[in-house]
Amino acid sequence: MGKEIKIALAGNPNSGKTTLFNALTGSNQYVGNWPGVTVEKKEGKLKKHDDVIVEDLPGIYSLSPYTLEEVVSRNYLVTERPDAVLNIVDGTNLERNLYLTTQLTELGIPVVIAINMMDIVRKNGDQIHIQELSRELGCKVVEISALKGTGVQEAAEAAVAAAKSAKTIPMHTFSGPVEHAIAHIEEAELNGVPPEQQRWYAIKIFERDEKVLAQLNIPKQTLDHIELDIKAAEQELDDDAESIITNERYVYIATLMKGCYKKKNAGKMSPSDKIDKVVTNRWLALPIFAGIMFLVYYISVTTLGTVVTDWTNDTLFGEWIQPGVSGFLTNIGAAEWVNSLVVDGIIGGLAAPIGFAPQMAIVFLFLSILEDCGYMARVAFIMDRVFRKFGLSGKSFIPFLISSGCGVPGIMASRTIENEKDRRMTMMTTTFIPCGAKLPVIALIAGFLMGGAWWMAPMMYFSGIIVVILSCIILKKMKIFAGDPAPFVMELPQYHFPSIKGVLLHVWERVWAFLKKAGTILFLCCAAMWFLGSFGIQDGVFGLVDTESSFLAVIGGGIAWIFKPLGFGTWQAVASSLSGFVAKEGIVSTMGVLSGLGEVEEYAVSMHDQFAAFFPTSIAAVSFLLFNMFDSPCLAAISTMSREMGSRKFFWFAILFQNLLAYAVSLMVYQIGGLILGEIAFSAATAAAFLVLAAVLYLLLRRDPNKHPERLPERQAAYTR
Amino acid sequence: MPLTLANTGEETMIRKVGGSPEMKKHLEDMGFVAGGNVTVVSTIGGNLIVNVKESRMAISREMAGKIMI
Repeated sequence: MGKEIKIALAGNPNSGKTTLFNALTGSNQYVGNWPGVTVEKKEGKLKKHDDVIVEDLPGIYSLSPYTLEEVVSRNYLVTERPDAVLNIVDGTNLERNLYLTTQLTELGIPVVIAINMMDIVRKNGDQIHIQELSRELGCKVVEISALKGTGVQEAAEAAVAAAKSAKTIPMHTFSGPVEHAIAHIEEAELNGVPPEQQRWYAIKIFERDEKVLAQLNIPKQTLDHIELDIKAAEQELDDDAESIITNERYVYIATLMKGCYKKKNAGKMSPSDKIDKVVTNRWLALPIFAGIMFLVYYISVTTLGTVVTDWTNDTLFGEWIQPGVSGFLTNIGAAEWVNSLVVDGIIGGLAAPIGFAPQMAIVFLFLSILEDCGYMARVAFIMDRVFRKFGLSGKSFIPFLISSGCGVPGIMASRTIENEKDRRMTMMTTTFIPCGAKLPVIALIAGFLMGGAWWMAPMMYFSGIIVVILSCIILKKMKIFAGDPAPFVMELPQYHFPSIKGVLLHVWERVWAFLKKAGTILFLCCAAMWFLGSFGIQDGVFGLVDTESSFLAVIGGGIAWIFKPLGFGTWQAVASSLSGFVAKEGIVSTMGVLSGLGEVEEYAVSMHDQFAAFFPTSIAAVSFLLFNMFDSPCLAAISTMSREMGSRKFFWFAILFQNLLAYAVSLMVYQIGGLILGEIAFSAATAAAFLVLAAVLYLLLRRDPNKHPERLPERQAAYTR
Repeated sequence: MPLTLANTGEETMIRKVGGSPEMKKHLEDMGFVAGGNVTVVSTIGGNLIVNVKESRMAISREMAGKIMI
């Protein structure tokens, strides 16, 4: 047995790297379109080669150390030194992609180039001379189409073969003065470095790369000597060292392209451009976007969504599972409390969230299609100018959009935002957008209040967006979030038909994660809530009791005073909100269990009396709904946030902010709204509500204390996580 | 003049990339390099979509202002 072979997969964002990785390893990962999806380290065993490990590096444009992705990839390549690099290159965008290739070949690691999207290149009638390219770059070049799976295995075999034998020697040279300086640097300092790595280090020293300089720990005297050489080159070429190298790489590629690449329709508008002419048109962009979003939510929430949800709830659970299980338990002679626990507590509790999983799948289906075809990147661009007005970049929009399905992937999607402050602010506010799990709660309260008005859900989305905007304005004026959002630059991938396999995999992954959550956390939550709500100590004896004297009533009653000013100081409402911290969909199940109705998935007129016990007034029900919309999200989202924030301080700040905000919003709505409607009388709490309103207005409207017109955007800070 | 003032659909040459060293390097890595060509595909509220080295880049007004053509 030989030792394990490690192959690193490197390439530009949107070059099809994730698709290739999946094809090579057969693992099921998500394929997206915006940069940074593969920011975490992913590896897999090469199919049919148990001893070959493929390492998927993040999509990068360069090996400079400015973005997180570049640092990750560079560190891996330089310190771990894989046995070979499989460089995936987008054949429709050869020039820009080869820029990274010129850097990879300098590392002294065997490189194999896989030119992707060859099917499109051929369709366009363009020509790439593979042999010529291979000769010029000094490494093997193979043609592939990752999406169609052609040439993929050959590319992998070539990389394995290269790992075993070949060496890649960079064929390109820089201009005289640069080569002169590099030769001096190699001579002066790099004797201790293995010969094949000398050139990489020499170039980096020439570029005054801080990370390499720190790593090598060069004596001051040598450094001064080297500096003279660099200065001489800079003077001769009239540019700074870093730009000289960058420019000369591009110049080299341009000459290379002349010999190896023939473009048929130069200068013509591509189909992608034609679509962009309409879709990103200055007048049409926003209406088209609004139209698409309306359609997505109309279909997934109202028409198709209702059909599948009703079927799951009424037929699958209502007619088959619950009566079936109940009958089975009675037949085998199970105790009545067991029957109650299983049928009402657990199955009844799980029915609502599981019933809405198909609806969630439809939302995610649409969102994945939009992502995969390339539209989502345009959305970020379209929304950038709007978002900039309240201190965020357009990249924050994607997390907000995804959060309308589920907050967990929404929080994860904020990774693509380079600026750390923007990223944290997005994570804090993104769960204010009603996620799918909050829909049953909205539907229930809407039913309770006004017989299920259809506009209640859009209203909540709208107020969610308003709360996000106002929070951002307030947060941006705080010192810890101050600073302009990072300037926006983002590659827009070409529009293409989404791959059905990729989209379905993605939807399945998210729905499965949700069902797993329903099966574990929610299952326990239901059982615990049932236990707390059914058992208690009555007349000094522990046992099954009426709900009014259950443990839940005691706990809920104990902290109900906190929620009294919000109008829902009843223990049932408090207990339901508590279960919302575990999972938002648990609110409805808990309300069902507590009102003794068992499974509740949608409101019926007959339930009015039971829910009236929860809420003394209708404005109290609104206040309850708002509190549960804006308080800290479910456990799953909270733990995701804690992981992604990367800072205890910010995490607790976020939790505090979310709950205070929810409390403040509910307080104002209940007290001030109630007063206006004449449902409640003026009290100390009403005065407090007015004070809160004043404080919010002050925070919102005060002059930004951190604004200095001369201040430059803090781009440096953006890249140090 | 800055890229923000370029006519839509006209291919022009980039003369200089400015901004902080980090921003400059990032722009250069993405293909905005002096001597290279750039075409504005569309504009929206001052933000641009440009064609640079056969890829479409969305770029904000602030950043486009640092690219001289």
